[in-house]
Amino acid sequence: MPLFKVENLTYYYPETEKAALRNLNLEIEEGEFILVAGGSGSGKSSLARVLAGLIPDFYGGKVGGKVLFNDKDIRTIDRRKLAREVGLVFQDPEKQIVQTYVEAEIAFGLENLGLCPEEMLRRIAEVISFMNLAPISEAFTANLSGGQKQKLALASVLAMQPRVLVLDEPTSQLDPVSAEEILNLAKRLNEEMGFTVIMIEQRLERCFQLADRVLLMEKGEIAYDGRAQEIARDVVIRDMPFVPPVARFFAGLDLPSVPITVKEGRKFLGPYFKEKYSTGEIQCDLGCKNLQTANLTEQKSVVSLQKLWFAYPGGQEVLKDVNLDIKEGEFVVILGENGAGKSTMLKHITGMLKPGRGRVQVLGKDVSRNGFKEIRRFTAYLSQNPNDYLFQDTVEDELLFTLKNFDIKDVSVIDEILERFHLADCRKTNPRELSSGERQRVALASVLVTRPKLIILDEPTRGVDFLLKAELGEILQKETERGSTVIVVTHDVEFAAEFAVRVVMMFLGRIVSDGEKHNVLGKSVFYSPQIGKMCRGFCEGVLTLAEAKDKIFPLIHGKTSTSHRARMRA
Amino acid sequence: MFDKLFYQEKGFFLQSFHPAAVLVYLCVFLVLSLLYENPLYLLALLFLLAFLIRGVDGMEAWEGFLKAGVFLMLMVMIINPLVIRSGATIIWHGPAVPYLGKLNISMEAMYYGAASGIRLLVLISIFCLYNQMINPDRVLKLFSRVAGKSVLMIALSTRMFPTMVRDLKRIKEVQQFRGVDFDEGSLWEKARKYSCLYNVLLLSSLEGSMEIAESMQARAFGSGKRSVYSRNMLRPRDIICTGGSFLALSAAIWGLRYGCGLYTFYPEADFLIKDSTTLIALSVVLFYLSMPLILNEGWNYCRFLKSKI
Repeated sequence: MPLFKVENLTYYYPETEKAALRNLNLEIEEGEFILVAGGSGSGKSSLARVLAGLIPDFYGGKVGGKVLFNDKDIRTIDRRKLAREVGLVFQDPEKQIVQTYVEAEIAFGLENLGLCPEEMLRRIAEVISFMNLAPISEAFTANLSGGQKQKLALASVLAMQPRVLVLDEPTSQLDPVSAEEILNLAKRLNEEMGFTVIMIEQRLERCFQLADRVLLMEKGEIAYDGRAQEIARDVVIRDMPFVPPVARFFAGLDLPSVPITVKEGRKFLGPYFKEKYSTGEIQCDLGCKNLQTANLTEQKSVVSLQKLWFAYPGGQEVLKDVNLDIKEGEFVVILGENGAGKSTMLKHITGMLKPGRGRVQVLGKDVSRNGFKEIRRFTAYLSQNPNDYLFQDTVEDELLFTLKNFDIKDVSVIDEILERFHLADCRKTNPRELSSGERQRVALASVLVTRPKLIILDEPTRGVDFLLKAELGEILQKETERGSTVIVVTHDVEFAAEFAVRVVMMFLGRIVSDGEKHNVLGKSVFYSPQIGKMCRGFCEGVLTLAEAKDKIFPLIHGKTSTSHRARMRA
Repeated sequence: MFDKLFYQEKGFFLQSFHPAAVLVYLCVFLVLSLLYENPLYLLALLFLLAFLIRGVDGMEAWEGFLKAGVFLMLMVMIINPLVIRSGATIIWHGPAVPYLGKLNISMEAMYYGAASGIRLLVLISIFCLYNQMINPDRVLKLFSRVAGKSVLMIALSTRMFPTMVRDLKRIKEVQQFRGVDFDEGSLWEKARKYSCLYNVLLLSSLEGSMEIAESMQARAFGSGKRSVYSRNMLRPRDIICTGGSFLALSAAIWGLRYGCGLYTFYPEADFLIKDSTTLIALSVVLFYLSMPLILNEGWNYCRFLKSKI
């Protein structure tokens, strides 16, 4: 008997005419690890809410079909009982912590279940030990880092000892290290404790291989349901992006089983490159890639940081002797862990902070002395949260707001920008009613409407799916083609590899690596995209899928077809 | 700087008391500071508070509290002699001023102002000690059984406040980069600019509140009667502290019945120490009130006492 059985489920959110879930059929066995992938608005989160009993209990709306949990209609199960069986962790840790200190937060769910103090104490102690939260058990929750908050949210649900753990993009707001920790915990809970885990994720390169089964959702339906290796090929054939780069690379080959991890990929590629690698025959041509940066040296400097030092009052030094020169038309990505000083450096570039020592020149102005007012007319700044920009009644008004503030009379640019950002249809729509991807585009449009020379983005890919990320990258690339300079601060190595020209890596307040992306990411073991990790040692400098296909496919394609045919004959 | 004014877990012995014991102790302090009129008694309370604040490493915070307190004390000392005419020892005959009449500054009025100022400092110091000695969440939790929803609401607000401050700062930066000058324009224009700022915050908070409610529902909030988790433990130190507080209060009331702690300022100021009973009553009260300090010393220097409390 399956743990969950979903039969012909269709669901409409209140006051909507489009079904969020359409005629869904699904069975989930106890102990499975299921990965749910898909684009924004494909129904992933709605499915999670259905399985946790929040739809329609919390949201209302119209429901058709049945959801059975342990052969019982989920709607007939007492809410308290269901909460003991199914735990749900949401994507934004900031929006799921209600108590002021860590221990109280873990106790919150237990108090709601009405457990006795002895039982609560035991469970809290267990969870704190398992999740290694003892050092912060007395901490004020508002002071925790994003990763700690998400761990706490998970601990709070785990303390309720559910059989099923539904994780709705639990890593989307986290840096790679914290994300890895959450994913490893999920895997441990599944393998060592026997939890049934249903995980919705966008960072497929980190968790595709963890799952027993992958569900790929599209327009409220399950488009694919199967083992990761099985669905990779079908998905690639249909040109859908929801497969991690390594699996995507091999799915194009005629192989009996598609390698989906770096380890499997390297194992497969090893024999083809062993001979050529040992003789040094394989060398990727980085010369052409350096050409763009070589040309840029003649361009004028847009951002210049000279011997920049900064320490917050009463704190440690955050920036230490930072020197950086960014030329006109460059697409620069700044990478680094939390606390590396990326955001502080960004605040200096935008003139929001004054340096302790050193000089900051942006667009020829001394920002370190005069602040942001001198440069803001020609600088666009997009913060981590697009919602910070949205408060007008319509999308058009958002753009007009910026133009009015800068006293720009020519409003014809609005039509052009709306067209370029595919927002013309939502011109008169309230921006808060738009999807997350559209909101981000409106926020970006509202700052690009002044035709800035410098565009600065802080973590723009957080919580963004493959398609939207690609869309954003292309928009930014087009801006550089128009002569603007783009600076992106991110943790997203895949984004950097795909779209940046130059990569700057920071560590503990210092720039530790700076150069053309192939030189920086290609040399790094840890800060390398999945394809880069797979090709390291075989074909140095290859970072993206397109590059890998270009360099490696011709070498192995013929051989794989021949060997596969031979295997089939055998 | 402001962080220092609020509770920080420093692992001191004086921070390890049960919140109920600390509340009782501080309430007794509060009552005594209001009942006592004798400046000597008030000064003794102030000194005791200073030792306790030092015991929780709160001198820096106390300094902050005292800055405001001393200013108020000086104001009281200045204003009181100007409006009070009851003193017999006139030290300055001033001119007549409208509304106040002839300004005759008496020593007793100044003295009363100073004593009131000390009382004010004692009250401020009690709140400072409260902030340094006890985690406000633990105090809040004490009332969970009787007012669970109100306590949760306060906890949620406390938890959200720093986040909202951070959000507000970020949104302000975003608006400044979109050309908004918050420090320019008339008062009306500034108000309009700030209203836009708070509008963004309000819209985002409303959206956020739905997500928080959803997370609470997913964790069975509102599914039935809640139980209360308390991590507070009652130890011998709490019983000694509470016992000491009640004994101090009883001794003080007994002393007040015989005039110990009372004081007459007008028309002529009384003696600070009328007789030995004044000092004996004060010593008894101070001894009982010093229980946390004595235990603190025992915790630090006496292994036997440490193992017993």
